[in-house]
Amino acid sequence: MKPAPFDYVAPTSVEEACKVLAEAGGGATVLAGGQTLMPLLNLRMSQPFVLVDINKIPELSGISRSENGIRIGAATRQCDALSNALLAAELPVLVEALRHVGHHQTRNRGTVGGSITLGEPAAEQPACAVALGASIEIASVRGRRSVAATEFYVGPFMTVLEPDELVTGITFPHWPSGHITLFRELAQRPGDFALVGMVGALALEGGSITRAGLGWFGMGGTPIRARAAEAALLGQALDSVNADAIAELALSECAPFDDHHASAEYRRTVGRRLFAKALREALTVREAA
Amino acid sequence: MNAPQLPQGLGAARYIGQRVLRKEDPRLLTGRGQFVDDISLPGMLHCAFARSPIARGNIVSIDTSAAKDMPGVHAVYTQADLAHFNAQMLSFFLLPPEVEITPLAGSRVCYVGEPLALVVADSRALAEDAASLIEVEYEELDPVVTLADARAGPPIHPGTSDNVSAEMGDEELDDDLAATLNGAAHLVMHKVVHQRISQAPMECRGVVATRDGNEELTLWITCQSPHMIARWVSLSLGLPQTAIRVIAKDVGGSFGLKNHPWKEEVSVILAALLFGRPLKWIEDRYEALTTSNQCREAEMTLQAAFDAEGHLLASHGDYACNNGANPQGPDNNIAVHMFLWAAYKMPAYAFLTRGYYTNTMGLAAYRGPWALESLIRETLLDKAARKIGIDPVEIRRRNLVTLKDQPSVSSMGIPREDITPAECMEKLLQHFDLAAFRKEQVAARAEGRYLGFGLATYVEPTGSAGSMPVMTGELAQIRIEPTGKVTATMSTHSQGHGTATTMAQIIADRLGVAYEDVTVFEGDSARGGFSPGAAGSRQGVIGGGAAISAADLLAAKVKTIAAHLLNASAETITINGGMVHVAGAPEMSRKLGEIAAIAYGEPDRLPPGCESGLEVQHRYQPPPMTFTSAAHACVVEVDAETGFVKILRWISSEDCGTVINPAVVEGQISGGLAQAIGMVLLEEMPFDARGNPLAATFKDYLLPAISDIPEFEFVHANTPSQALGGMRGVGEGGAIIGPPTLVNAIADALSPFGELPDTLALPLTPTKLLSVIEGRDLTAHSAPAPVVVSADVPASEPAPAAAAPAGEVRVEGAWDMVLKTPMGPQGMVVTFAIVGSAVSGRFDSPEGTQEFSGGTLEEGRVRFDLKVEKPMKITLKYDLQFDGDSVSGKCKMGMFGSAKVSGTRKV
Amino acid sequence: MSEHRVNLTINGRRHAATVEARMSLGDYLRDEAGYTGVHLGCEHGVCGACTVIVDDRAVRSCLILAVQADGAEVTTAEGLADSDGTLHPVQQVMREEHALQCGFCTPGIVMTLAALTGGQDKADEATLMNSLSGHICRCTGYQGIRRAARRLAAEPGT
Repeated sequence: MKPAPFDYVAPTSVEEACKVLAEAGGGATVLAGGQTLMPLLNLRMSQPFVLVDINKIPELSGISRSENGIRIGAATRQCDALSNALLAAELPVLVEALRHVGHHQTRNRGTVGGSITLGEPAAEQPACAVALGASIEIASVRGRRSVAATEFYVGPFMTVLEPDELVTGITFPHWPSGHITLFRELAQRPGDFALVGMVGALALEGGSITRAGLGWFGMGGTPIRARAAEAALLGQALDSVNADAIAELALSECAPFDDHHASAEYRRTVGRRLFAKALREALTVREAA
Repeated sequence: MNAPQLPQGLGAARYIGQRVLRKEDPRLLTGRGQFVDDISLPGMLHCAFARSPIARGNIVSIDTSAAKDMPGVHAVYTQADLAHFNAQMLSFFLLPPEVEITPLAGSRVCYVGEPLALVVADSRALAEDAASLIEVEYEELDPVVTLADARAGPPIHPGTSDNVSAEMGDEELDDDLAATLNGAAHLVMHKVVHQRISQAPMECRGVVATRDGNEELTLWITCQSPHMIARWVSLSLGLPQTAIRVIAKDVGGSFGLKNHPWKEEVSVILAALLFGRPLKWIEDRYEALTTSNQCREAEMTLQAAFDAEGHLLASHGDYACNNGANPQGPDNNIAVHMFLWAAYKMPAYAFLTRGYYTNTMGLAAYRGPWALESLIRETLLDKAARKIGIDPVEIRRRNLVTLKDQPSVSSMGIPREDITPAECMEKLLQHFDLAAFRKEQVAARAEGRYLGFGLATYVEPTGSAGSMPVMTGELAQIRIEPTGKVTATMSTHSQGHGTATTMAQIIADRLGVAYEDVTVFEGDSARGGFSPGAAGSRQGVIGGGAAISAADLLAAKVKTIAAHLLNASAETITINGGMVHVAGAPEMSRKLGEIAAIAYGEPDRLPPGCESGLEVQHRYQPPPMTFTSAAHACVVEVDAETGFVKILRWISSEDCGTVINPAVVEGQISGGLAQAIGMVLLEEMPFDARGNPLAATFKDYLLPAISDIPEFEFVHANTPSQALGGMRGVGEGGAIIGPPTLVNAIADALSPFGELPDTLALPLTPTKLLSVIEGRDLTAHSAPAPVVVSADVPASEPAPAAAAPAGEVRVEGAWDMVLKTPMGPQGMVVTFAIVGSAVSGRFDSPEGTQEFSGGTLEEGRVRFDLKVEKPMKITLKYDLQFDGDSVSGKCKMGMFGSAKVSGTRKV
Repeated sequence: MSEHRVNLTINGRRHAATVEARMSLGDYLRDEAGYTGVHLGCEHGVCGACTVIVDDRAVRSCLILAVQADGAEVTTAEGLADSDGTLHPVQQVMREEHALQCGFCTPGIVMTLAALTGGQDKADEATLMNSLSGHICRCTGYQGIRRAARRLAAEPGT
């Protein structure tokens, strides 16, 4: 299990990295934390001509707040995001999700952007990005663009990213202070990808729901945003929400699959239950508060 | 926790029975272990394999030219280069396979990942680069993957008539047995489908081979016994004249996988002989999961009849295992049937057992290879208890053999003298308040929480020696150095077992020296003597006995010399704390080192006739078999919303005789239990319809993590065995008794929802358990195709003694025959003499010659009895049908059931 | 394939080497620097046997390229004990708790526990248990490993 030969470059600016990607004509692969890419290289399932290491680009690391939201640099390590005070205060659900990503040792190296870019359908961070309405910043020699996370994923491990493009950051919109968070994941062992998972946030005003972001992971070929469920929640008072009905709506947007860890019907059955329970408990806690 | 028990006469123990710190640990904790991949030799090159991407097909061509031309590549070998060695891929019992198995695939491939070519290059990375350049053209054939495929499909190996690799027992139920089964108050049927497992030691396979001149071959190899490897390689590769040295200081786990080399290791060794420079091959995890021998895949149907009170009356078992294409032993796991009811009062048992070839990775051993017997029996007993309406404890109390019932012999002929599963269970129940648990269970159910209690009991044959070629005694060589330091060389070998610790504990106690002053060497075939190593829970029992007897001989010599030197009688001499004392004369005490220095350097001062030096060796031959018994219980909670299982408590009550080191004993049981939990809940090596293995990484092959394994509680219920020192083997038990304990707890937890499915198919994934809870099938199309229960299928093969063919049949003369025994096919020449219808004759085989008489001949059918003494006293009843120049039939082998016989006239 | 010059510190000693781009840090530590206590158990980041400390953090050495360790401080199991042989507290506790059998996964577990108990902010028991889910041991059933982690979380001054 040794990688096929490749060249290695470690640019120090986004421009330089984009230039390498452009010149490689599709033969380059971006190396961020490497916690998924390195196994693929070792197994020779990925055989790039050149590896573009983005760990030495200062612009890509760090977490900052602006009017538009919270920006996480693509090469920000998961362990740093986990201990970040800004995230803990403003996007607690993302921190909760990060605790379930891989293991302590892989979080010490793995990056937020790497996981978001890979698009593993059963991973936590892409689902957070989709559910919370994040946008993905993309750079190339052709310029910079921003893509909504909901538009970013097109299939298992497939995104709209072009071969010459680099993800530079992820911006999560602001959620009002005191918003309700939801996170549930069912995995066979810690660090495994989810058999079933859901994540979400609800904003309240005067006791009714004014904004909802809900998503699934492990429930189809991409992370899935539960738009019908979100729409049904808007305007509802906390005590009038029918969690089972919302979960049923959310389920209608999923297309889970069979694998040898769980069947599609299992995922549907437990997903519905998990979703409803998460919603019910979050609302009950808030009502009591 | 009880105090360790020692048999009478073993004397004061300062180390035996103590949680002594391991001698191996400082080296392993500081990264100073020496595993095979840590070996690097001058001039050493690296190997990688090109492997088959298809499960079954003929090789049309192999083009290695591009690989050979690559810079950094030194050689590329195919089977054409290795064929002239004529290497025999022997079984653990050193028998040749009955089908052609070559180190590299020759004209055909028969499983995905089968090695086709070996690349020798400057680095492993370069070797992999070159391997990917090898082009192979195949004529692909449809593979035979499952047991159902094997029964219905074409034979995968040329020259065979079906895919049955081994068969024993009887297809038709004996009339009496059928009557008992069908007439009983309760007849319980149970089927288990055991998934395929990967042994998955943390260190994958690997070998460094170097040919040193024409006459020497040195191997560093990860294995279970360097001596076994040296013997196997000598016989397998046909190198009787070569001095073979095998070194394996540290081995990263094995669990049965590394009993002996297989295709890859043999290919590397042959390549090293051809190439003349040291070669290294280290298996990577992808190779390990997909192309290392695997284990376990089997199906079994068991029927058991009970009277109205739940007493066992009779039973029948039908077993089949999927051996894959190139198994290390193409057997039918006869041990499943021999030990199935050995601990129970079971009046009558009969069976049919078969092994099949398929186009999958071949099977090898894994911790308790016959463990399906405990899984199916103990889960059937719980099912029966629910059906009869009695408690799981009660059904065992009514049927287990207790010490009062012994000595006795099981219906399969297993002698029972000191098994204690019933006693282990009673002791366990003193530590677990079952009545209180039942109350808690009822209360929890009212809250929608589903708790379950699982119980299982078992016995296990350990420390076997003397009845099979490689299952020998163990050798201890101990010397007191002139410095007073004690050095022991043992035939034992550790793949984590800590034998350098446990053997040192024994030797220190028996010699009267400090544990710190004893060093144990093993792991090198140039030291010590033959033993199969860690195979069959034997090293504590037999190696321990060898350490005791050798140390006692050495202590006696010290006493003789000291008595002579100190002018005392030998009976007054004691050795303690490294000092030699004379009773009543403390001023006479001498350091052991002083006596040793004289023993080596001043032979004139020794008693007349006394050999100089302080060195002894002893090979201990234990009783043929030593039984270990145990009862385990666990408590689980099954989440009714998700089907997830949480293990809340687990108690082991085991009788492993004298405990040398409780930490080592508990470590062995705990490791086996973790593997058991993996088999029940997580681990599975699935194949797709084309024979592709689907779990190629640890992301898909789920090994238990720390969060999956509870804290185990231990109740030691030990009674000394009859082996010297009183030890009983403890290596495999956890993996045998763990699965039924856990399955029974899950079934108990889910009992409000009904029984588990009639076919218990492992692993019990959340999907399967939620199906029970919801009362509907959630497994959808991911469920395996239903497999027909073999017991219900009429045999396709004709009875051996069918209607006689017309015409005269000439039986007189010599015939080449093969008997398919549990240990593999056995060849022999049988010579018949016919007078009228009376038949007599002679058997000639490598084991010797045996004559028989009193047989009968009737229309080409010959029947006779052959009484044999070895490996045990048994009467073999032959029933043969002669037809022209061929003969076929059966041999009834007493409790072993029937075996197939075939042959041709000797020319 | 490109080759790269790297300078790094391993167990307090400076190393300089030229490495192929594709060489993992694990392979470099074993085959080039001679620290064979780094064990490669899966080379895809799941088993944890190859875990080493890079710049104070426990990471998988099979999932980092050697070239990426340029300038780093690396500690392996060989670098923890005192030169007089006195075991590091993690090693000592693991020995006392019989937390190993074959010893193949052991160096990785030692490094994770050492990374989390060595600094100012000593990890609590829950954190240690969580981090140990990133290690696979096939021998021990984790009994001694769990006991050792518990003691390390409870004992001051390690």
